[in-house]
Amino acid sequence: MQVLIVDDSQIMRKIITGVLKKLNVNEILEAVNGQEAVDMLVGKTDVGLVMMDWNMPTMTGIDAVRKIRANGSKVPIIMCTTEGEKDKVLEALKAGANDYLVKPFNPKDIQAKLEKFLTSVS
Amino acid sequence: MKVENINPFIESVMETFDSMLNCRVKVGKPAVTKDDEDADDIIGVIGLTGTARGIVAIRLPIKTAVTSIGRLVGVEFKEIDSSIIDGVGEMINIIAGNAKVKFEGQKISLSLPTVVRGNMYKLNNLTGAVFLTLPFSSELGDFDLLVSFKSSDEAVGKKEEAHAGAHR
Repeated sequence: MQVLIVDDSQIMRKIITGVLKKLNVNEILEAVNGQEAVDMLVGKTDVGLVMMDWNMPTMTGIDAVRKIRANGSKVPIIMCTTEGEKDKVLEALKAGANDYLVKPFNPKDIQAKLEKFLTSVS
Repeated sequence: MKVENINPFIESVMETFDSMLNCRVKVGKPAVTKDDEDADDIIGVIGLTGTARGIVAIRLPIKTAVTSIGRLVGVEFKEIDSSIIDGVGEMINIIAGNAKVKFEGQKISLSLPTVVRGNMYKLNNLTGAVFLTLPFSSELGDFDLLVSFKSSDEAVGKKEEAHAGAHR
């Protein structure tokens, strides 16, 4: 099962990758903006989870979530962002995100979210 | 600058270092930043706009930046590279993002973070405002948070232009 990390920050991709590897998830894909993620997911069924940042160039995470859902994909998506206001959380869930993780988070926070979804899809 | 407008930034720094770096930090006595202050540091800057406006920056000596970002990623860095620069940008983004949520009733947006390295930069604050320097100490090294911030209730009746920049 593959996990797609979508974040324009190289450092955030590294942090999340590190936690995933500790959870024995070794098939990790990366995208640097929402458009790249949308394109990568077209016709792809072996991605089991998407970790999606909100603020990115070219296409934001929230727009990417809408596009991914419009394309018919039901892949679980966790928004992973500094946008922690309640209206933002609700907007993301309404757009089709399955869960929300607000930065700053610690590795245990990521692990808890990942385990929830990795268990549900395995 | 009101004291209650500084506390969210202090709390945010403490929460960010505690959550993401497993590191307790202590804040020292705030001071007004001098215009000619410079050092061989890495500084991450981010602008805040909306019902409150300002600039927040984290200024890390190179050694602190290397150890902090190294712990964040779980890698031992020997020198400054793109990961360190990217990490400092992400760090100020997280600190400012976490702080803005603490301002209830305010609609604040963040600019994209900018990272500057060297000793020839100069931060320009809001016209008529000052930067407060908040010194922090930790096991990863000392660093400063620089804040120039005005909430809407402070800005009433005043026309001021924000111009943030790091000039070489």
